[in-house]
Amino acid sequence: MKTQLAAQKPTSGTRFLKHSRLYFWGLLFLIPEIVIFCVFLWKPIIMGIYYSLHDINFIRGNTFVGLQNYRDIIQDEAFFTAIGNTLWFVFLGLVMGYWVPAVAATAISELRKFKATARLVVYLPNIVPAVALYGMWRWLYEPIGPLNDFLTIFQLPPVEWLTDKSVAMFSIVLMNTWHYFGSTALIYLAAVMNIPKDLYEAAEMDGAGIWQRIKYITLPSIRHIFLLMLIMQLIANSQAYEPQLAMTGGGPNEATTTYMLMVVDGAFKQFAFGKASAMGVLLFVSLTLLSILLYALQRKGGDES
Amino acid sequence: MKGDSHQERGIISFHDFRRRRVKIGYGVMVVMLLAVAWTMIYPFLVTIFNAFKTKTDIYTFPPSLLPKDWVWTNFGEVLKYVDLGRHMTNTFLIFAGNMLFAVLFIGLAAFSLSHLKIPFRKGFTLFFMCTLMIPSATYMIPNYLNLQSLGLLNSYWAFWLPAAANAFWILLLKSFFDGIHKELFEAARMDGASEIRCFLQIAFPLSLPIIATILIFGFTQTWNEWYWAGVVITSPEKYPIASVIYKYVLSGETNNIQENVKFAILTIVMIPPLMIFAFLQKYIIRGVNLSSVKG
Repeated sequence: MKTQLAAQKPTSGTRFLKHSRLYFWGLLFLIPEIVIFCVFLWKPIIMGIYYSLHDINFIRGNTFVGLQNYRDIIQDEAFFTAIGNTLWFVFLGLVMGYWVPAVAATAISELRKFKATARLVVYLPNIVPAVALYGMWRWLYEPIGPLNDFLTIFQLPPVEWLTDKSVAMFSIVLMNTWHYFGSTALIYLAAVMNIPKDLYEAAEMDGAGIWQRIKYITLPSIRHIFLLMLIMQLIANSQAYEPQLAMTGGGPNEATTTYMLMVVDGAFKQFAFGKASAMGVLLFVSLTLLSILLYALQRKGGDES
Repeated sequence: MKGDSHQERGIISFHDFRRRRVKIGYGVMVVMLLAVAWTMIYPFLVTIFNAFKTKTDIYTFPPSLLPKDWVWTNFGEVLKYVDLGRHMTNTFLIFAGNMLFAVLFIGLAAFSLSHLKIPFRKGFTLFFMCTLMIPSATYMIPNYLNLQSLGLLNSYWAFWLPAAANAFWILLLKSFFDGIHKELFEAARMDGASEIRCFLQIAFPLSLPIIATILIFGFTQTWNEWYWAGVVITSPEKYPIASVIYKYVLSGETNNIQENVKFAILTIVMIPPLMIFAFLQKYIIRGVNLSSVKG
């Protein structure tokens, strides 16, 4: 047996040839994608660290400055304001937006009629292109616009939706919730509809009321989606800058300048690419730590069930 | 219907409905859902109806939803400010190129990972899938500098080539290919078909539903993208429609556009996504459920 194998064992040259023929098509199909990933994804990801240690100048070329960019960031007061604003935005997103899709999905699943219509209607805002969304909501938030008109019905004073420092971020979160909650609601809805009806039947037999059925059957059945959506929302919201840029430009008085808005302004307005790259690296580190933490939590949550 | 009542029940049973409190509670829930539905639809109506208002009509307070006199002239006036034809063509060009490169390269790679003999299969899969974990904003600036150093700025190649660098789409196509029986390809190979024919004539046609979903994802992304496109493209005549609208309608660089004309523009950009939604709902809903797999 052993000798037979040894006899069959080809020399390394022919083995390479044999393997290369075996793997030829597989590798050929894979190579373009590998090249594209290297050039357009992995290279920027890794070069971020290189750029963060350099002063980037398109005309004179890049010069190594060590940790100077990082020192500049930490000495910049705006950096801490931006972190605060981002945390505030993430927090408001959780308080105002996170629970909405789950509640809406549970309510829609209970509808006796028009379930399909309700599903379409909540998804509708998702298809609005971002620029149309901003135009639309800027009008709603106009000082003499529809929202303030609505407030007069309840004898409430008009609100400066986008120009009041303490309200602006709230307004942006409200708009974002309107735009995105439908697609999340559909994910919850699919999960809620998948719960076997026998469970409710059995719980009812045992005398469980409606709230108890929700608490002990519905909520535990969709717990994994709660966690997943929490992770996705936290990570997406900590990178947000487009709605802030379009609605308020980061104002009033820097109250809506998020971390990423500071990064893109630093790069494309002040052309401080090195500093912006360094901020990107810091964001990368903190988001990676956050997602590792959350995935660990998720794993732990999964073990309990 | 009565006979099906066991199937049809939700959290609330038919038995519960005999109680008055449950009936009232259900009524309150329906009213609240109606309020939500109105909130969802109202901004659309405001946008569309404002596009038909006259200049004096739009600035009256309190604002009325319906126009006093319906005018169509706003839509004609749009063309004075935005060359819709040119910029929509630009968007379409970007979209077509993106999809060509994405579907071709991602398709080939996913097919290889799924059905061909390759060494280090796990390693290659990891090489692609790792990038799902990296938040895209964190490498946005180096990405720009990279495109700059490759000389791709102000060219659509800056969108087309990186369009294939999408691990999520590899994941979608690969899991779809995994569902195709190996025997199908083995039989084709026995009959002398090359791997290229296996891909083009078997795998590709079979995966059209998932490719349709990717096309819709891709369209939405290209149609929405205003910031990045506005940064990468430097000559305004090459802008896609979203960037033009942001620069010249929203950001106030051209201040003389009247509100009613603005709304005509916003209404026009909403039409293509609305049409796609109306006709391809099935694929969109599937896409939404797939995106929850991503995390």
